[in-house]
Amino acid sequence: MTDRISRRVFLRRAAASGSILTVPGLLAACGGGGGGGGGGGGTTEAHKLAKTLHFSNWTLYIDVKNHGHPSLDQFQKKYGVHVDYREDINDNASFFSKIEPDLARGQSTGRDIIVMTDNSRYPALLVKKGWVEKLDKSAIPNIKNLVPQQRNPSWDPGREHSLPWQSGFTGIGWNEKLTNPVTSMGDLLGNKKLKGKVGLLTEFSDTLALVMAYNGDDPSKITDKTFNKAISVIQRSVNAGQVRQFYGNDYASALSNGDLVATMAWSGDIVQLQADNSHLKWQLPNDGGDIWTDNMLIPKGGDVYTASVYMNFVYDPKIAAEIEDYVNYVCPVLGAKEALVKQDPAIAKNPLIFPTKQELDNAHTIDPTALNNEKYQTTWQNLISA
Amino acid sequence: MSTAEVTLTRRRSGASSPARVWAFVRRHVLTVYSLLFFLYLMLPIAVVIAFSFNHPRGRFNYTWKGFTWDNWLHWNAVPGIQSAITLSLEIALLASIVATGLGTLIALALVRYGFRGRGTTNLIIFLPLSTPEIVLGASLATLFLHSTTYGLRIPFGFWTILIAHIMFCISFAVVTVKARLIGFDRHLEEAAMDLGANEWTTFRKVTLPLIAPAILAALLLCFAISVDDFVVTYFNAGNRVTFPIFVWGAARVATPPQINVIGTAIFAVAVTCMLGNVFIQNRRAKAA
Amino acid sequence: MGFGFLHRHRNTTPYLLLAPGLLFLGVFFLVPLGYLAYQALQSGNIDFGYQFTWAWSNFSDAVRGYGGQFERSFAYAGIATALALLVSYPVAYWIAFRGGRWKNLLLLCIVAPFFVTYLIRTLAWETILADHGLVVRTLTDIHILSPGGRLLATGTAVVAGITYNFLPFMALPLYVSLEQIDPTLIEAAEDLYASKWRAFFRVTFPLSLPGVVGGTLLTFIPAAGDFINAQLLGSPTNHMIGNVINSKYNELIDYPAAAAMSFILMAIIVALVLMYARAVGSEKLTG
Repeated sequence: MTDRISRRVFLRRAAASGSILTVPGLLAACGGGGGGGGGGGGTTEAHKLAKTLHFSNWTLYIDVKNHGHPSLDQFQKKYGVHVDYREDINDNASFFSKIEPDLARGQSTGRDIIVMTDNSRYPALLVKKGWVEKLDKSAIPNIKNLVPQQRNPSWDPGREHSLPWQSGFTGIGWNEKLTNPVTSMGDLLGNKKLKGKVGLLTEFSDTLALVMAYNGDDPSKITDKTFNKAISVIQRSVNAGQVRQFYGNDYASALSNGDLVATMAWSGDIVQLQADNSHLKWQLPNDGGDIWTDNMLIPKGGDVYTASVYMNFVYDPKIAAEIEDYVNYVCPVLGAKEALVKQDPAIAKNPLIFPTKQELDNAHTIDPTALNNEKYQTTWQNLISA
Repeated sequence: MSTAEVTLTRRRSGASSPARVWAFVRRHVLTVYSLLFFLYLMLPIAVVIAFSFNHPRGRFNYTWKGFTWDNWLHWNAVPGIQSAITLSLEIALLASIVATGLGTLIALALVRYGFRGRGTTNLIIFLPLSTPEIVLGASLATLFLHSTTYGLRIPFGFWTILIAHIMFCISFAVVTVKARLIGFDRHLEEAAMDLGANEWTTFRKVTLPLIAPAILAALLLCFAISVDDFVVTYFNAGNRVTFPIFVWGAARVATPPQINVIGTAIFAVAVTCMLGNVFIQNRRAKAA
Repeated sequence: MGFGFLHRHRNTTPYLLLAPGLLFLGVFFLVPLGYLAYQALQSGNIDFGYQFTWAWSNFSDAVRGYGGQFERSFAYAGIATALALLVSYPVAYWIAFRGGRWKNLLLLCIVAPFFVTYLIRTLAWETILADHGLVVRTLTDIHILSPGGRLLATGTAVVAGITYNFLPFMALPLYVSLEQIDPTLIEAAEDLYASKWRAFFRVTFPLSLPGVVGGTLLTFIPAAGDFINAQLLGSPTNHMIGNVINSKYNELIDYPAAAAMSFILMAIIVALVLMYARAVGSEKLTG
């Protein structure tokens, strides 16, 4: 991680453009971080910022206040770049289908930043096929704020092409009014008292990771043997009528109204559900849970420099805190918790948003090669779509 | 004919009391059934309307937490929701009008004329209905992408969404209007011609008013399909967001009550328009 | 029949009427369909690309691997269509004959549920039909459901969902052809001493057949390819061919398989429609 602008270079550039005379500029100069000069249309090579940054993201996944997005406005003010923010990502698979034709034909997708989840096969696929640009690390000194556990994912070693936007845990949620705590997958899949009221996720990676951890196998290194073992455990449970349904994100309503007593669940959903229903509890399974990350990527043809400057901007703990205050998933930026403690202690102290090191260590990430294994995927689809 | 109330009466004299009660029940069983039908139809809508007044503390709208007017007062508080519904309504309006127009022409041709290629035409009408939405949307998107090879750059956005919607609505319009044209009494048209009207006048003053209910039904059906479509739209929308795309996207992290508000509002506005129509017709009938 | 004046223009008028619509469909449906056919004969995967290899095996694989889902789709669609017909016919009749000034308003009410996105109205149904909700409790009390039984996450829920969501597609064509029937015809039948039911079956119903045909086609055909009801309301054993096609396309990025399956689905539907048209009768009823 030595691609940082040296302070001397930064000060020279900043002095030339006059930005050191602003407070952020001064702070940045003192802190050693921050981005480069002012606006103006540009190309990726010349280290000039584009006039517009085209950012495609998931719906309601950025800070919101008074019909606007304060962090984006701050970015515009600081760098003079207008962010064309589009919430047109609904789901990894179908979004990939939308951009695949452009990428396959070497055409630009019209987007500078996209956000895709690493528990789907697509980030690994995009990197493998060379359909994403390398980050301009020289523009992202704040990358030092990335939590250590996220610095070296197996599908993007050294974070050359991606940076986490938000993460989420997959664990087990249960309704304490209807059952004793369900803290292990064995309980979820085998406890007859929960028969017909258990939910599993359609997400290949989430469900398999938790079951494999329960089996004692390592989800980040999947072999045929461990895969088949996990599948047979799940199939047995399905055949016994234990599993009510395989859910996307619609388990939330079933859990709320009691149709599900215990289910695999995502941490961010639970944060929201608990606000209205304090009987819903959640934890990572004892044998190990799963963490997935929504990653910022630059599709081929996107403006690398501007996108990198933006990524650096959101890795500023203060900005990350603003965003996290609204989004409430798991924050990947060190320092954001401290920045948030004064203005919103409830969020800052919530372990579902700022987890402990222990929790982060207890959460596995799925083996990305397994995600792209056709045989595994077909077996899985046949299982959930009998 | 179409506005007159029709009551079917039994022609028997001297009916006894139980028979009269039975007759009363039988006369009204249809009404009762129909009211039950509308109750069933509207049941989820009632829940949706109720929950539009919910005041959840979290971002999901699954548990009743208390009454509030907030969602209605701040119906566009969720960023992106207003532009999404505006886009959906614009598209739905235009698509239903164009699709119904094109569909009516096709229906007229199919029912009234003998021509070669009827079977093929019918096939072309039924195929879009039978094509799974995902491949329908994806293959149309491929067409728009390939257009660049022929020199046209069709950017994804409003026009591609509109084209897609018209495309899958035409079939619905054709079938609906056809159901009316088959069995249409031609003698009325002949009578008009006999009285000296030319073809165009006959069409305008006799045919069109008589198939108007079918055209209205086709418009309503196409509008409903268009405003609710997700899969085909998603592939052809580029980075534009329609209301269903917004809802499905938001559902991952939230189900804001404002969605309920908007759905209810569209329904309410449409009902008001229809009621207005009824009153105008009333006035006209009284004045006549 | 009164073709009369239309004979003069018999040659060009139909083609003029057809041209705009068919041209539109030709460009924006048939051409993409051609591309889909091309894809159906490709093989390969996303990693190494797809090549056109006359891969007829895509079709046989589809039938062999997913015959169950195909059957289930037609079964569900068929039941849902029959239910929709039975449920909607009386209402369409009522609106057509008794609706009076309120006809248009009532028609609007039938399509009103579509103004609230599918997801939201299905969530509302999930609230209504929840295991601990009023409906399920009542049904258990009167012994229609076994104790501990549920309505959601079953095949019943999927069929009910399909029926509900396709009701307007059945009701509107029915209404459209019923509304046209001259009530004096029915009165005439009764004058000739026909009972109400006889009058209905001999006069009204036959005259409404074009609507019945239209409605069944508009319901059955799209319902067979539906996937969303099975996804949200069904358990894994209730999935339809639409779900498989979706997963082939999205999750497995197996475009050739998805395309081949789509064509098989379309072919079966067209065959069924042809048989249906023949069974129902002449062109006079199907146009």
